[in-house]
Amino acid sequence: MRVNTKRLCELGLLTAAALIIFVVELWLPNPFPIPGIKLGLANIITVFAVYRYRAGEVFAVVIARILLGAVFAGNLYAVIYSLSGAALCLAGTLVFRKFIDERHLWISSVFGAVLHNTGQLLAAVLLLGTPQILLYWPFLLLSGCLSGFFTGLCAQLVAKRLKIVSDNSHTIILK
Amino acid sequence: MKYKVLVLICVLLALLGAVGSALVLLSPSGRRVNIISDGKLVRQIDLSSRENTSFKVSFKGRTNTVEVKDGKIRVSDADCPDKTCVKSGWLSSSAMPIVCLPNRLVIEFSDEESEVDALAR
Repeated sequence: MRVNTKRLCELGLLTAAALIIFVVELWLPNPFPIPGIKLGLANIITVFAVYRYRAGEVFAVVIARILLGAVFAGNLYAVIYSLSGAALCLAGTLVFRKFIDERHLWISSVFGAVLHNTGQLLAAVLLLGTPQILLYWPFLLLSGCLSGFFTGLCAQLVAKRLKIVSDNSHTIILK
Repeated sequence: MKYKVLVLICVLLALLGAVGSALVLLSPSGRRVNIISDGKLVRQIDLSSRENTSFKVSFKGRTNTVEVKDGKIRVSDADCPDKTCVKSGWLSSSAMPIVCLPNRLVIEFSDEESEVDALAR
């Protein structure tokens, strides 16, 4: 993958922003005791990147965020779940972006979140060898829809603002 | 038009999740059932497998017939005089095990933490 310096810089910025959001979210109390249910605010960056960057670049940002995030959170065990969820989510949203435009970005986000949660659950079933975990799926489906909707709307706002900025000046992320 | 369909799919996914969650929450918390005869665990049944079976548990020549149906369990027949266990019906709560005193039979939800819960946190 050939990336020029400017692009690399933007990707680095995105990764840093995603990491900060991820770490801040760790401090928010989670009212749901079910593993896998959380807001996933860092995915605001993921969804945004899906719509503005090439597939390889998005994968790079997300994988860097997951690996570094796991180091910061002190939970390397969760990497397997995050990676499998992210793989399915990105594969899905990279397809969705072809026929869902940026003004309906939140729809992609909802589908992506549901795919992400499903990927995590499948990884858990394979790793633990207990198919009973599939009983969690309805919860993950619901939480995926809600959090995907929310993060999608946030990403949509970000996309809108950054488009305005890029029209007036050439300083911040351009498309 | 395309987006209306997509939004509808989103809403349906959320509804599916909500209904599924409700179904999972409303089903009895314990899914594993212990069958204890004369203080010894003779059989453990996973009710979530939804297998319909019926079997006999004997103690000193007397038997109870245990029926598993649609994820529920009960004593369908007993040759004890009072048949309290039969009258207590389907096992519904971990606080109220089905007990047949004359035949020393106890059917209760297993309270040991399942593997999932142990790993959850």
